[in-house]
Amino acid sequence: MKTDVLIIGGGVTGLFTAVSLLEQGCRNIVIIEKSYIGSGGTFRCATGIRASFTSREHVNVMKRAIDLWPEYARKLGFLYRRDGYLWVLTRERDVEFFKQVVEFHHSLGVPSRMISPEEVREIVPSINTNGILAAVYDPLAGKAQVFNAVLNAVIHLKRNNINVYEGMRALKISGEGSRIVVETNKGRVEADKVIVAAGKDSANLLKGLGVELPIHNLAKHVLITEAFKPVIKPLIIDWSSSSYILQVFHGNIYIGSDIPEKYDEPAVNKYMFLEKAAKVWTRYFPWLGEVYVLRYWTGYYDMTPDHHPIIGPLEENENILVAAGFSGHGFMMAPAVAEALTQYILGGKPTIPEFENLKPDRFKKGKLIKEIAVFG
Amino acid sequence: MIVGIDPRKVIVCRCENVTLADVLNAIESGLDNLEVLKRKLRIGMGQCQGQTCLLLVAGILARKTGKSFDEVLIPRNRPPISPVKVKYFIGDER
Repeated sequence: MKTDVLIIGGGVTGLFTAVSLLEQGCRNIVIIEKSYIGSGGTFRCATGIRASFTSREHVNVMKRAIDLWPEYARKLGFLYRRDGYLWVLTRERDVEFFKQVVEFHHSLGVPSRMISPEEVREIVPSINTNGILAAVYDPLAGKAQVFNAVLNAVIHLKRNNINVYEGMRALKISGEGSRIVVETNKGRVEADKVIVAAGKDSANLLKGLGVELPIHNLAKHVLITEAFKPVIKPLIIDWSSSSYILQVFHGNIYIGSDIPEKYDEPAVNKYMFLEKAAKVWTRYFPWLGEVYVLRYWTGYYDMTPDHHPIIGPLEENENILVAAGFSGHGFMMAPAVAEALTQYILGGKPTIPEFENLKPDRFKKGKLIKEIAVFG
Repeated sequence: MIVGIDPRKVIVCRCENVTLADVLNAIESGLDNLEVLKRKLRIGMGQCQGQTCLLLVAGILARKTGKSFDEVLIPRNRPPISPVKVKYFIGDER
């Protein structure tokens, strides 16, 4: 099989990139996915979208993504809404820390603000604010429907004769002259450009080319309850316990909570997670105790040393591009990443200059990015 | 398919109110495996966790795609096996 652009990885990053390339007139694209569409981090994720981060790179990339999300929602037909993020703070030192964070946000045009427990109750009437000293509210943040976003992208691509192959696993990448050859479990694919957007597998694939991507999987745990009418509008983070809750568009309540995990250990179900999630969130929402848990699943954050993604062409071969190591933030930035990769593929530079700081060679060159807070 | 029955009036998933027509349209649009159909249609994601609909949809999918039943029936069951109230996970101290 021959193609102009081969995308390895059928998650939100790969699929949105194909949608973006198609928009720019690039029609000869093949996407291969080792399992089923969205089967990695994408379909497991919390679907939160925010620009309230603590690095210039994250803030500016996410702001661009937030500009683009409504366009994707319209074009592909899914719900996206700016319902906000709320960090509830229960310790003095966290309040002091977040004052600096909010100041940083303002310096980059992110409209977060410190609010009182009374204001928290105005935004989330059913919350018990006992123990909350203050909160940070980001009204620009929001959420999107992950299943429709991704599956409608697949339908859109298929309608435009772009093939998305499931159950097709890339095994080896090599450069032969100006073409890139990818061996898969279902034969060989030749392409002018290859985008590797395959989570931690990206690192394994590129090792054969002598490229070291420092990506490690970190197990994460989430549960979802039965569905209700809208009751919790923003995504709420309990900062002191590293836990979050949101109500997805369908009405189910989605809860994530950190429990101790080590890099690259397999994600397995642990009772400890259920206990912590239940304890933390029934304190804020006593009524939650009576709500039924439908499902509990695990997934991975593909972590990098600076908790920022690896995006852009390889120094060793500019026809191979990477988009991996999103460290828990791949879904929210996907539209901006798709745009940047499209610009690289078409021979340009990304509109958002901070993308250049995320290139794969930054680890080798010691140009790591610092962030104070990784969440969600 | 059964002749003379309107697929828009046949309920395949009672929890999420999904009709046979929804299933057929989704398969037609190119979503041809159960994992993806589950997420597009929400079959298997309601209160009963797919006890009825997953088998039905697997059967429809097998007939439409010519694959064997075993080939199409893949979605993983997530715990709990049946829904459990949040309060039962809290443990001793409360």
